[in-house]
Amino acid sequence: MDDTKPHADFMTPVDTALDRIAGLCKLITGVSMVVLTAIFGWLVFGRYVLNATPTWVEQAALLLVMVIAFLGAAVGVHEHTHLSVSALRSAVPDRLRKVFVIVTDLAMAGFGALMLIYGARLTVFKWDSQIPLIQLPEGLRSLPLTVGGGLILVFSLAHLVRLALGRDLRSDTIQ
Amino acid sequence: MGLLVLLGLFALCVVIGVPVAFALGISAIAAFAYEGLPLMIGFQRIISGINVFSLMAIPFFIFAGELMFHGGIAMRLVKFASAAVGAVRGGLGIVNVFSSMLFGGISGSAVADISALGSILVPVMKEKGYDADYAVNVTVTSSIAGIIIPPSHNMIIYAIAAGGGISISKLFLSGVVPGVLMCLCLAVAAYLVAVRRGYSAEKFPGLTALALSFVGAIPGLMTAVIIVGGVLSGVFTVTESGAFGAIYAFVVTLLVYRSLTLEKFRIAVVSAVRTTAMVMILIACAGAFAYMLTFYRVPNKTVDLLTGLTDNPIMILLLINLVLLVLGMIMDMAALILICTPIFLPVAASIGVDPYQFGMILLVNLGLGLCTPPVGSCLFVGCAVGKLPMEKAVRTIWPFYIAILVALMLITFVPAISLTLPSLIGS
Amino acid sequence: EWRGWNIHVEGYPNTVAMDKFAELLADKTGGEITLQMFHGGTLGSQPDAIEQVRLGGLEIGNFNLGPIGPIAAEANVVSLPFIFKDVPHMFRVLNGEAGAMIAEGMAAKGLVPLAWYDAGARSFYNGTKPINTPEDVAGMKVRVMNNDLYSGMIAQLGGNPSPMAFAEVYQALKTGVVDGAENNWPSYESTGHFEVAGYYSLSQHLIIPECVCINADVYNALSDDMKAAVKEAAMESAALQQQLWNEREATSREMVEKAGVVTNEIADKAPFQAAMAPVYEAYLAANPDLRPLVELIQATE
Ligand code: NA
Ligand code: NA
Repeated sequence: MDDTKPHADFMTPVDTALDRIAGLCKLITGVSMVVLTAIFGWLVFGRYVLNATPTWVEQAALLLVMVIAFLGAAVGVHEHTHLSVSALRSAVPDRLRKVFVIVTDLAMAGFGALMLIYGARLTVFKWDSQIPLIQLPEGLRSLPLTVGGGLILVFSLAHLVRLALGRDLRSDTIQ
Repeated sequence: MGLLVLLGLFALCVVIGVPVAFALGISAIAAFAYEGLPLMIGFQRIISGINVFSLMAIPFFIFAGELMFHGGIAMRLVKFASAAVGAVRGGLGIVNVFSSMLFGGISGSAVADISALGSILVPVMKEKGYDADYAVNVTVTSSIAGIIIPPSHNMIIYAIAAGGGISISKLFLSGVVPGVLMCLCLAVAAYLVAVRRGYSAEKFPGLTALALSFVGAIPGLMTAVIIVGGVLSGVFTVTESGAFGAIYAFVVTLLVYRSLTLEKFRIAVVSAVRTTAMVMILIACAGAFAYMLTFYRVPNKTVDLLTGLTDNPIMILLLINLVLLVLGMIMDMAALILICTPIFLPVAASIGVDPYQFGMILLVNLGLGLCTPPVGSCLFVGCAVGKLPMEKAVRTIWPFYIAILVALMLITFVPAISLTLPSLIGS
Repeated sequence: EWRGWNIHVEGYPNTVAMDKFAELLADKTGGEITLQMFHGGTLGSQPDAIEQVRLGGLEIGNFNLGPIGPIAAEANVVSLPFIFKDVPHMFRVLNGEAGAMIAEGMAAKGLVPLAWYDAGARSFYNGTKPINTPEDVAGMKVRVMNNDLYSGMIAQLGGNPSPMAFAEVYQALKTGVVDGAENNWPSYESTGHFEVAGYYSLSQHLIIPECVCINADVYNALSDDMKAAVKEAAMESAALQQQLWNEREATSREMVEKAGVVTNEIADKAPFQAAMAPVYEAYLAANPDLRPLVELIQATE
């Protein structure tokens, strides 16, 4: 992006806020990763040493993986770290590339919105039944997808705004 | 028509640069909508794609790898490895292949193998001057040894799908020689590519230096001892062993090497989460994509299309291989084993192929599918831990595909490779 | 066109019966309703498929009542250990008033059971010794399915209930991560678990039926004639399934015994049943509404 374009100041606090949200997600997912590892240590210790298997670990672990996957994926959208094929996009003329980037962001935002809406409906639908062995609502399983979807929506819209302001951060859109 | 929506939209998304995970998710959800299926089920499939206990090996081994890298274990392994095999061109590539062969002997899955070895060996290889694509290619392709060399979850699924009558212990034995054969082919490929790329061989540093580097690497090498010992003695399963790898790496770097600071720990956690999330979202969305492929009966229709084309047994076997390879490219293993076994096994049996040998043919084919774009969980993990775009890895992976195809052809047309060992031990 | 889910592979009694159901459905409705079956669980795990039928993504499913328990509390009573005396008793209960109560509970959650299938009785197996008394289970690590009733059952027998993903059980039995598990004859055989856990003790502690279920909205929208035809097709497939099931049980048992498995009857099951009192108490305390249903089942001859 060329630096001659005027920076839009209203975006600066928004960027800061989004970075903070991503930072919070990193904290939550990081803690989840550490807890996940620790409870597996406890699982093996309980089964092998105490001969009393903590029966809640498996189900709790699956929930933690959901948190890591979907909040982590949202952070990945914010930071552009997901695996994508950029060869084709970088081979087309600049104007077409800009169209590609806008459509990509729109598609991501739309998908995030659907994750948010249908994830929420799934969460409500399953709230009544319980996950066996941990006595928590089955709906918790789809909550990370719901929240992650909302964040993907927000982060993708922010990419679009930055693009419009000439402040996009993607390596292959700067030129 | 719906299938066209699914595949066309996926291709379009990938071309314009939508991350592959979301390209899979978007096209799958669009197909759900097109078919008038409740969209909630589409998102259920995305969640269920990773609501799988054995996938837990991915975060654990990735986390262990990051701790070893940032805590200095990996660096000491590099020193030892280059002292030991640096004098051979592509030495680390070959070591990588044989590590997979040995790890395949305890892990049931390719994904555990690639998560465990990839997280440690890919950074080590990059550090020693190997290109990232070479490191990723070797690690990805050799990881399927985890499926062929016993034990293997997927062999159990095959035995069940075959409808009974298949002994799992005999099936396990059938996999030993094909697995070793495949690794030998891959080691040859790793050597040839290394020579062709001109990776320089180092001078052998002498026995003293080798011994010293070995001592320094002992705590790192102990990780393998702990995992193997713990699994074989029944303390934990392979999935659980990953958590022990991470806990062990934490303890060693904190207390033995005293090289793990709070900041390094934080970096290791954040980077493990990033890699894990990248892989998990891919596998999750591939789950929804596979559901629609099953919905459209793509595997069944592909098979129908090809059966009856020929009576020639050799052509039939080649066609079966081809179909399995193509299906393996777009769908992950377990579902394909369940769909293809009942269809292909009778065909294979009718031309005299033993069910144990057929199991190996099926698993090598679908295993190769785990290493190919667009849907391949081993390729996903490999690119994520190698921090390498998928198209870069795929551009140079073909010598390794050829190695596996050579092994596959031998396994297909030489029954003795699969059947000799079980008949020797079984009787 | 309807779509149906079934977890079992080709050739399994349930798979054959569900294919028969599809055929009968077309016959009896004059081709107005056709059913395309997806076998082998290729459209998702059992809990997921239950959800898919409830949401209307699939019309038909062949489900075990175990995983329906967390959704419809009435269905969970069949997961109480030793609630049924034997398989014929289970069918008498299901075909009576208690069965109607369970069906009603399921229908309220969007699943209408059309017919009951047999899944036999589950018994303990392990790699070290025959089980004859609860003391034999004491200290043993036993793999259980995800249900508080099953883990409570092992705990009350003094064992160590260890939930574990099904795919990992074979290897876990082989290396000794767990000592034993429990299942019916056909599963014990087809999973190869008999190769690594050679003692099968006929505790028959769990007799959990299966059902052919239909999405409630789809069913309720049918005319009465159609409803009757659908129901009749399901019932006829159930008769076939029960016959095939009995044959398969016998074949599986013969096969594993020929392979050297040591089978033992448990002469006195009373101590096992007595040990379940706390499981029942805790269950009824948590689900006071279900006391009449449990008592009705126990009173059924
Ligand atoms: Na490898
Ligand atoms: Na293996």
